[in-house]
Amino acid sequence: MRPTMRRKTWRDLRAAWAQSLALVVIVALGISSLMALTGAYRDLGASYRHTYDSLHFADVTFRVRAAPTAAAAKLAALDGVQAVTPRLVVDTGYELPDGVPIRARLIGIASGQQPAVNQVYLLEGEFLSSDDPQGVLVESHFAKAYGLHPGDTVTPIIMGKKTPLTVRGIVASPEYLIVSPSRQEVMPSARTFGVFFVALNELQRLTNAQGKVNEFCLLFTPHADADAVVKAARAVLTPYGVESATLAKDQPSAAALKLDLEGYREMSNTIPALILLVAALSLYVMLGRMVRSQRQQIGLMRALGYSRRQVAAHYLAFALLIGATGAVVGAGLGVLLARGITTAYATELGIPLIQVRFYPDLLLEGVLISLMLAALAGWGPTRAISRLRPAQAMRLNPVEALARGRRTLLERLLPWTFSLTVRMALRNAFRARRRAASTWISIVFAVMLVLMSWGMWDSMNYMLDRNFRQIERWDALAVFSQPQTSDALNDVRHWEGVREVTPALVFPVTLKADGQHKDVLLSALPPDQTMHRWFVLDGVSPLKALQDGGVLLTPLLAQNLSLNVGDTLTVQTPFGDKKVVLRGLVDELYGSNAFVGLDTAEAWTGAPVAVYTAFYVRAEADRLTALKKDLFRLPGAASATLKRDMERDWRSLMNLFYVFMGFLAVFAGGMAFAVLFNAMTVNVLERERELATMRAIGASLRRIAAMLALETVVLWLLAVAPGLFLGWYVGDAMMRSFSTELMTLQAHIETHSYVLTAVGVLITALLGALPAIRRVGKLNLAEATKILT
Amino acid sequence: MSAIIRLENVTKTYPMGEVEVHALRGLNLEVPQGQFVVLLGPSGSGKTTTLNLIGGLDRPTEGKVVVEGEDIARLNDRRLTQYRAAKVGFVFQFFNLIPTLTAAENIAFALELVTRDRKAIQERTAALLALVGLANRGNHFPSQLSGGEQQRVAIARALANRPSIVLADEPTGNLDVETGRQVLQALRDLNRQEGVTVVLVTHNTAIAPLADRVVRLHNGTVASDEHNPHPAPASALNW
Ligand SMILES: Nc1ncnc2c1ncn2[C@@H]1O[C@H](COP(=O)(O)OP(=O)(O)O)[C@@H](O)[C@H]1O
Ligand SMILES: [Mg+2]
Repeated sequence: MRPTMRRKTWRDLRAAWAQSLALVVIVALGISSLMALTGAYRDLGASYRHTYDSLHFADVTFRVRAAPTAAAAKLAALDGVQAVTPRLVVDTGYELPDGVPIRARLIGIASGQQPAVNQVYLLEGEFLSSDDPQGVLVESHFAKAYGLHPGDTVTPIIMGKKTPLTVRGIVASPEYLIVSPSRQEVMPSARTFGVFFVALNELQRLTNAQGKVNEFCLLFTPHADADAVVKAARAVLTPYGVESATLAKDQPSAAALKLDLEGYREMSNTIPALILLVAALSLYVMLGRMVRSQRQQIGLMRALGYSRRQVAAHYLAFALLIGATGAVVGAGLGVLLARGITTAYATELGIPLIQVRFYPDLLLEGVLISLMLAALAGWGPTRAISRLRPAQAMRLNPVEALARGRRTLLERLLPWTFSLTVRMALRNAFRARRRAASTWISIVFAVMLVLMSWGMWDSMNYMLDRNFRQIERWDALAVFSQPQTSDALNDVRHWEGVREVTPALVFPVTLKADGQHKDVLLSALPPDQTMHRWFVLDGVSPLKALQDGGVLLTPLLAQNLSLNVGDTLTVQTPFGDKKVVLRGLVDELYGSNAFVGLDTAEAWTGAPVAVYTAFYVRAEADRLTALKKDLFRLPGAASATLKRDMERDWRSLMNLFYVFMGFLAVFAGGMAFAVLFNAMTVNVLERERELATMRAIGASLRRIAAMLALETVVLWLLAVAPGLFLGWYVGDAMMRSFSTELMTLQAHIETHSYVLTAVGVLITALLGALPAIRRVGKLNLAEATKILT
Repeated sequence: MSAIIRLENVTKTYPMGEVEVHALRGLNLEVPQGQFVVLLGPSGSGKTTTLNLIGGLDRPTEGKVVVEGEDIARLNDRRLTQYRAAKVGFVFQFFNLIPTLTAAENIAFALELVTRDRKAIQERTAALLALVGLANRGNHFPSQLSGGEQQRVAIARALANRPSIVLADEPTGNLDVETGRQVLQALRDLNRQEGVTVVLVTHNTAIAPLADRVVRLHNGTVASDEHNPHPAPASALNW
């Protein structure tokens, strides 16, 4: 490029610095959202894998009734087994300082050095030394929940006795990245379930199990045949009573993490893609307008003798400089944000080994898309204009010349006569179609992005609120490992502060239909109960469904099992296989709920008297803490949960979601502002001469401002409905993609969100027009009517 | 003297929606080398159209536009672009300076079409600015110059590549009388000293005495064509 042409490129950028900057921001936001959100998602996956690898997460864990420690040697000798760690795992209780009982798991491991399989990651303190029977390592989530540090004392209940142990270290464990006691209890429960690592021989001594272990954690060699190894290991362990063999992918924490991440997969790919798309389109539209506004200069260059190619190169450079600057800023921002999100999330979850990587493919994708559209925007209009004969291109006010003034439909339809300002605003809004269309699109985009992010926030709150206010209507839930009779039920009914108790049977089952099967926790409730409200989506009323011996499932379960209402399925229970009819689909937050009538389940058990494994309790609010304690102290109680704690856990699990939404809101807001600002600025710049003329003939700045504002309002009116629709539509699609077995989600946007979005965008658009209006005020009237614009 | 410009039966029709505008209806005109011609006519008579055709900014609907023996209406875009860069200098009514370039840079912008020698460009720019009396205004942006100064920069730019033809469209249209006279004198001097052919378009009859020849256009054809053996100096004009 010739030196003066090059200088012109820079000067043009500087002259339109505000618009150029807005475009740079748009591109940067597009690229950085891709790198940050998609990158963070990948980082999280990588962090899990890295944590599993470096801490030698077991490929399979065998639970046996009791085996000598020495059995480990036999397993280690098997083909495909790289390492074995024998452990003694004891599930017991723990009393918090305020007397509230919770659950605890003691894991006995050889002290002195890290186990070969399922190592722990020391966050604080030291590993257990071999001459320290009182030492304990506390899993980090529990430690964090109760502020435990090395040197503190903890007192798990071992063989019915509070046993003081001294905290030597705080550790993260690959088995408890999400603290979940079993596969059926997906919800994290750091506050109600503590994991403690103690010296194996001491735990054996305390539980009278000298020389015995009940768990073997196996690590496979790199290319081992997993099935064969599991089979061989099972054969070795059969004499000791194999209770379960859990593969890494089925391990509760790993499975919960997988579910958690799954929900974000779609979202972390779609949302940035959408933002990038909006960014790229806005860039295209705006840059195109900027170039088109230089129509006369293009004509002049051609008149002076510059070739089409030279002129195109000039505007291409202009466009690419903006695109490239945006890409560089976006890449930098993206790397920083990805790091921030990954670190925040990983820290929140307690993933110790964080992997933050740079993903060149994401950068490349973002840069390519942005540059391509920048190039297209720079090249397309230039080409079209430089194809015109220079005489044509240089004619004054091409926009005005091309678009004929005419009366608008609105003017003709409405009976009254508008003031001239209103008439002008109306005509302007429809006169230059391309200009109006691109401003309109900008408003649609802005409304869509803002509503979408706002709506997702609304939806999440709505779903949680609905679940904890409308669906779950109990205050405390006690689950028993030994069945209770009506005596216990009547006891609890007479406790102080207890208003109502509903008994239930809850047990793990496998649902089978059509060759597919699904492990779930089945709840058997009295059909007329009021503790858990069913929202029926399809089928008969719950009362009738359950009285008839039918089953209620969530739509996701029915879908996974290819079942329709009226179909029959098999329920594999601890009491044998039962055939039941699917009588209804119910809308639940948790995606894998299944219900039958209490009588139906009682009949299955075959017990001579009614037995229960769960009590739903409604009670006075100020009695809840005490109630929880008392419930847990009932003989055979496995857990006692307050709904309010459960709600808090759910909301904390949604942290990544809120982080995502927060970023999305920032991206959307920033993008909306930049897009609107640009649209408004260009809108005025394109007509500088016309506006200067109006000023010249005496129109006050206020009147011009009113006209421009009105024009904006007209376009906004036309853009609001499609924008809101798109925002709702995309938000709904996002929420659906976010649904997993863990939770069912759909868009539920509050009315005030629609209103605030629409009004907010209008205000932003009007604010975006302000600098442009100020510019009109500063126009040198004599010059503006002369100089090329 | 041989004709440097020859328009033969030129018509120009602009489509305007449903109707057609006949800007030129069979125009014939010959301009000899080194002549200073004024095309005079009321608004809408086809003056600008004629000038655009001669300058290769537009193509005729019918007829020939022969410049230095070549029918430029038949040139392809590349050759036409070269023609504009090398042979023609334009002075527009609205100056048409690039607002983001200084006076000197606006001139260099045209010079760089034919040379890359920076030193030569610098020297020529300075000389041209001096020629139009703006030696010390080279670093000013158009917005910092008066209308007359801008128009003189535009003239300097038109002369940059030593064109054989200078086409000026209402060059005084946006200037006060005194400045207008200076601009006209600059063009006249240029014609006398460098032998450049000048075609000046105006609706202002007061300017006519300046020319060697006055061609009146009416409704897209030549209405009259008069030679002026004693052109007046610009200082004698008044309007
Ligand atoms: N690009 C164009 N499109 C349509 N009509 C045009 C165009 N250029 C000029 N005209 C029309 O052609 C006629 C002659 O125009 P022009 O040559 O500009 O006249 P003058 O310069 O003498 O005022 C006018 O009626 C004008 O409106
Ligand atoms: Mg004209």
